[in-house]
Parts: sequence; C-alpha cells; structure tokens
Amino acid sequence: MAQISCTHCNLKFDESVMITEQEGDKTLYFCCKGCQGVYHLLESEGLDTFYDKLGDTELQPAVQTNDDLEKFDLEGFKNKYIKEHDDGLYEINLIIEGIHCSACVWLNEKVLHKTDGVIEATINYTNNKAKVVWDPEEIKLSKIIETIRSIGYNAYPYDPALQEERANKTKKEYYSRILVAVFGAMNIMWIAIAQYTGYFTGMQQRFKDILNVAEFILATPVLFYSGWVFFRGAYYGFKNRIANMDTLVASGALLAYLYSIYAMVSQSGEVYFDSVVMIITFVLVGKYLEVLSKKQAVDTLDSIMGSTPTEVTLIQGQEKTLVSIENVHRGDLIELKPGEKVVIDGIVVYGEGSFDESALTGESEAVLKRKGDPVLSGSVCLDSVIRYEATKEASDSLLHSIVSLLEESITKKPRIEQLADRVSGYFSTIILLIALLTFAGWYLYSGSFETALIVGISVIVIACPCALGLATPMATLVGISVAAKRNILFKEAGFLETMAKSDLLALDKTGTITEGKPSVIQETQYSPYDASLLLALVSTSTHPVAKGIYHYLQDKEESLQPVTLEEIKSIQAKGIQASYLDKQLFGGNALFMEENGIVCAHESDHTLFYFAIDGVLVTRFELSDTIREGAKEAIAAIKSMGIRVVMLTGDHEKSAHHVAKAVGIDEVHARLLPQGKAAFVQTQQAKGHITVMVGDGINDAIALAQSNIAIAMGNGTDVAISVSDVVLMDEKPQSIHDAYRISRRTYLAVKENLALSLLYNAIAIPLAVSGYVTPLVAALSMSLSSLIVVGNSMRIKRIRLTHS
Amino acid sequence: MSGNIIILMLGISTFLGAAGLAALLWGVKTGQFDDHSKFIDAARFDNEEDLRDAAMMEEKKKAREKKRKEEKKKHYMPVD
Repeated sequence: MAQISCTHCNLKFDESVMITEQEGDKTLYFCCKGCQGVYHLLESEGLDTFYDKLGDTELQPAVQTNDDLEKFDLEGFKNKYIKEHDDGLYEINLIIEGIHCSACVWLNEKVLHKTDGVIEATINYTNNKAKVVWDPEEIKLSKIIETIRSIGYNAYPYDPALQEERANKTKKEYYSRILVAVFGAMNIMWIAIAQYTGYFTGMQQRFKDILNVAEFILATPVLFYSGWVFFRGAYYGFKNRIANMDTLVASGALLAYLYSIYAMVSQSGEVYFDSVVMIITFVLVGKYLEVLSKKQAVDTLDSIMGSTPTEVTLIQGQEKTLVSIENVHRGDLIELKPGEKVVIDGIVVYGEGSFDESALTGESEAVLKRKGDPVLSGSVCLDSVIRYEATKEASDSLLHSIVSLLEESITKKPRIEQLADRVSGYFSTIILLIALLTFAGWYLYSGSFETALIVGISVIVIACPCALGLATPMATLVGISVAAKRNILFKEAGFLETMAKSDLLALDKTGTITEGKPSVIQETQYSPYDASLLLALVSTSTHPVAKGIYHYLQDKEESLQPVTLEEIKSIQAKGIQASYLDKQLFGGNALFMEENGIVCAHESDHTLFYFAIDGVLVTRFELSDTIREGAKEAIAAIKSMGIRVVMLTGDHEKSAHHVAKAVGIDEVHARLLPQGKAAFVQTQQAKGHITVMVGDGINDAIALAQSNIAIAMGNGTDVAISVSDVVLMDEKPQSIHDAYRISRRTYLAVKENLALSLLYNAIAIPLAVSGYVTPLVAALSMSLSSLIVVGNSMRIKRIRLTHS
Repeated sequence: MSGNIIILMLGISTFLGAAGLAALLWGVKTGQFDDHSKFIDAARFDNEEDLRDAAMMEEKKKAREKKRKEEKKKHYMPVD
C-alpha cells in the first residue's frame, strides 16, 4: 500500500490509516486528529505559509494534552520561574519542545506575537529556548502554554538564573570590550608607525602633536572601557589586600597613560599610548580565551525535571483520578501503568512487575518488585499495572532529592587555585615595590622629580604582563585542542591544570569499566536447532539479556531472518514463550525452565539463558557484562603515573570484585547508593586528595558534580555529561590515560611559560631600573616575550600519545 | 603637507571606523548575534511580513503604555 505523508507533520504512513479530507480539488491527509487541528488552525489564522517554509522537514505529530495547564497559574510556580518587571509585566524562560527547523521558530514566534497580551517573544533556534514577556492583566501563562501546544509544540519552563545564562552574559560583555580594544589597537598601530618613523628620521613637533592627540583619543576608550575589567579586579584585590595580575595591568596601563598625557601636554619625551592599548588588548584576549572555554552548564537538569510526569493516577475508593504530584500525600494509593516513570517513592501493595532502575543503580538488568517491595522514584515500570502506596511526598522523593543534591554539589564544587594566579600575585607586589624603590633611588640620585617618575613608570611598563597574562590561556587552549583531536573534550581550560594535579581516580563499574550491557561470552549447544526461531523469540523482548543474545546471533550469522511467531507471552523477569507452527518455544532463566518442566541444573557466576523447543533443552548461553577493551592496560598505565585508582559501584561485592580483579584495581567500594559515591569523593577531598571521577549514569551524577574533575562517557546520560568537566567521546579507557598525559604536559608548558616570562623580566627590569629603556626597546621586547610564550605553547602539539 | 590635512584624514577615517564599531556594538548588545542560525535565516527569509510583524509588536507595546497611563489618570485623585 502507498505511503503518504501527513499534510502537517510530513511523517509517512499507509494511506488506509490516514484521515482524509477534501478541500476544493485537493485531498488532504492527516496522520492524527492533532495534526488536522493544527493545520486548520494555521489556515484560519493565515499562517499556512509555514508549510512553504517547512519544505520536507518531518515534525512530530501534534499530540495535545491540556490537562496539566492549571499548574502554570499556581503561586509556587510563579515564584519559581516568573520574573516580574517593574512595570507590571511578567517574563518567563521556556524550552520549546518539537522545534525541528527555522520554520518552527518562525511559526511559534508568529503565533505568540499574534496572541493578545504577549508583549515580547523571542526564540533561540540553536537551543530552543524562548523568552516570553506578557501582561498578566490580559493573559494567563496557562493560556500562552496552551497556545504553543495548540500548534503542536510543547513548552516547559526553566530557571535562567543558571550558570549558562551568566556565562553567556560575561562572554558578550568581553566580546564588546575586545571589539573596542582591537579597534583601538589596530588604529593606534598605524599611527605609531608614523611616530616610530618620525623618531628615527626626525619630525616637526606640530605633526608629532597631532599624532599624539589622535593616539590619546583612541587610547582613552580602550583603557577605560576595555580595561575596566582590570580596574575592577584590581579594586577587589585591593579590598582583600591581594596584589594580583589585574593590579599590575591596571597600574601599569594607568601610569603609562597618565605619563603619556603629561608628555603630550608638555611636548617633551615620547608617548606610550600604543603600549597602553597593546597591554590591555593582549591580556584581555588572554582572559577572553579562558571565558570562551568556560563550561556550558546545566540545562539538562531542567529537562530531567521537565520530562518527569507532573501528575499521577490516584486511586480513591473505586475512582481513578489524575492528580498533580504536589497534591499527593503520604498514604495515597497510586497506580502505575507499563512504561510510566515513578516520581514518588512508595511500597507496592498490589501486583508485581519488573522495574528498570538503571537511572539509580547503573545496572541495566530489570528488577522484579512484588507486594511489600519499595518503589523508588526515577525507576521506570516496564511491563505491568501496579498499585503502590506513597511513603514520601514528591518533594522528598529520591528523584527530587537527587536533583537538589546535584544543584548543591555544582555550586559548592571545590576550586583548585591556579598556578598563574599565585605567581602573578607575588610578581605584581615585587614589581610595584621595585618601581617604587627605583623612583626613590633616582629621585635621590638625580634630584629631578620628572626623571625619577619616568624611570619608575618605565619599570612597570616594561615588566610587561602580556607574557604572564598569556602564559596559562595559550598553553591550555593548545592543550584543549590536542585533547579534542583525541576525542577528549575538556569543557573548561582550567580543568587541564586541576587534572594534572590529581592523585586519585575513582571509576564507576557498569558503563565505565564495562560496556554496561550483557553480552554472550559462551554458548553450549545440546542439540542442533534453527537459530532463526531463537532470533525471532528474543527480538520480541526489550530485556537487556534478550538484546544481548539478539546481537550475538546477528553477529554470528548475518543472513538470519526472524520468522513470524504466534501466541507470544512475556513473563516478567523470567522469560518469553511463543509458538511457531506446532512447536512450543521457551526462552528464559532456570526458574522459568523448571516451571515449565524442563530440567536444567547448572552453576555459573554469570547470567544464564536457556532455550528449549517442545520441552527439550537445545542450547544454553552464558552472558556477562564485558570489560571494555584496553581497560587493564589503561589502568596499569595510570597507576604507573602515581595515581591511586578506586572503583565505586552500586553493584554487589561479588561482581564488583570480579571486575576489579580482571582490570587490576585493588580498592573496591561496592553497594554504594548515588549519595554514597558522592560521600566517598567528599571524604577523600577532605583528606586533601584531588579527585577525578569517571562515570556515565544519573547514579554517578552527584559524585561527578562533587569531584574536582568529572569525566563522563560520551554515551552516558545527559545529566552525567552536563555535570562533568571532561567528556570521552570514544569511551575508551585509554582516553582517561591520555587525558591525564595531555593535562600533565599542558601543566608543564604553563610552568615553562611562567618561567620564561619571569626570565624575560629578570633581564628587562634591571635595564629599566638603570634607565636604558627607550620606546623602541619597550615595543620590541613586549612582542618578543609574547611570541616566545605562544611558541612554547605550540610545542604541546608534539606530545606523542601511545594508542592514537 | 599641512597639519590640517593630517587632522582631516585621521579624523574622518577614525570617525568612520568608530561609526562601524558603534553599529557592531549595538548589534552585540541587542542580541543580534546570539543565535547563529537565526542570524542567517533573517537574511534568507527577509521579507515585508517580518517588518510588519515587528511593527505590530511595537504598536502593542505602545498601546499598553498608553493604557497604563490612562489608568493612572483615572485613578488620579486631585488633592483638595
């Protein structure tokens, strides 16, 4: 039968299942009522040019659920997400779900603009975030959300006070400042060329004056607008009685600027406006490099909370009602349907079924829950209808507490002081002291206040902070790009230095050291059988064991095609049963076989799966979570770098020790809950260890957020990736070792750069103190020292990684 | 060469550059470069309709301001 695409969402379906409609001489096809509704709505509003813009892009079908709308008008919701403007307007930040292309952005903005009471609506296409401003007297938020839903999208709020928004703001601010600085620097440079030529060939004072004034005009905004960050930093440093890099830059630039004004007005000596602008521009660019690679923070936290159900089915007597989770109290009876996510902790009172707890423990195998067993929020009910009694309210349930713990850990993450900050502190103090002494010495020696001032200032100007300012950002930027080429993504430049200082590596087991899913390690055949029957049987289940066998069979014989089975029955946490022609097929664990009268008695450390045809056992599979390739070598290499390696897992001791022994880890902590892992990291940090944590799941997220450096696997959950500092895209254990090596090499380069710029100062400062610095020497030495630092940083690229 | 010519050359070229810089800064400040794809789409789908749309939003803002002012007037109690 012909496949026809839906007029609204462009998804293709069989013609027979589609809703057809005649409009003039055109036949319209819709995949669902939702799409049909949206189409007519857009048409009546005159917005059908949307479809021209859309082209062939496929949308998700418009499914409308409007039963949770009242929560948007609740007081608590308002306090959390809505910002009130001074003039009575309300503002909210939303994440719009279902945006696929620019046409979607256009449509949403257009529809919101047409809505009465909406004053402003802008949607960012790159991250699907929207800012909506509206007049609360004219329209309610629930109505706005309903409008967005009515055109087939969904919106949920997020809190813009998160780090990312702040980071973006600083980035933008720096960008503007750099634009001004670069503009000033480039223009001053060509004026300075005239100045230098004039210095050698002789120039009339009146031309010199014109050039001086032009430089003065260009340098002023650069110093006071672009250089504002340094004055601010110097001020905070002064308040806390610390001399930092900013102190040096601010005082050097300001003094040189003031001296140049004096030289310009008195028409004596040379002006240093070009040096002022150069210092500000170079160091500002260095700072911007650091801001640029600052971590993009934690939007995904919003999306976990955003995607969890906001209501549950409550059983009250004979009736079932949908109730918002805030209104569920302890002791209420809740019904769970297959596929539903648990949001409130409780105890099963009726029914039994398997639960996917991978979000909490990291283990992919489903857990069978019977009457009296606890149900934890964050797990997913897989296969049956269950009723359970709430033992906690939504806000104290595990899922919510994980999210709040996460938010807490992110904000109180310990920061390691960077070497450059410490060095520049001492450096600034010493330079300022030397300048002061020089001034005093020259004043006593020559008796001229003016000469003494000029020489004193030249000490500060020549102690060019450019090299020092670029020492760290240049090296780390090169380090980051080398790592990125090896599929290791460092989210922030400073993490390289922190990781280089680390002496403790904590590894999660499932999904980090191991693949995280069971795969067949051995098959024992009792009698020959048709593999396509087994393939068909296991393909009916989504259980990880069934999936493991499915992949095994497909790898073994690629041409295998599953046959069509009948009477498929899936028995929770036991096995699958089906019939093919007149054969009865059974696949499952030993308990399932015994229940069906099939004898099998085997002992194994691994998960066993049996397959029987008509009551006769034909084959047996042993499955186990396989250890990632190269894990043993990588861990040995990391240990040889003098780093203590520890395994943290939510799994039981036996399998934990089994894996630990295979990869060569001596220290194992098993049966840890998400909070337990975080607590371990915290105690180690209290003992002074700088800890690197590697993990992949929500269960590792708190520990990841707590650790000094968090490394996530590229295939890990969004939360783990977003709280982590480093992401391993290729998921190889060897990459952890490479990350260590790159960060140590980069840290070495940072130290070399600092040493080089100090060495430069050791030569240049005595020259300045003795009064030999001319403008030419100043300009030359400034560029030379910066170039040396840049060149030395480039050497990081020559690092040889063993397994690349 | 007279000094005035140099002043003129420096002045005009710096002014022109500064005007360009000011426009760029305004663009950054009003968030025109925040969203790379939208930035490109604005050029691709440039049309009268968007302009009308923007004008409509301006109107809306103005209308609200006016309403607020009127309301203030309404509630204004003369002191006697």
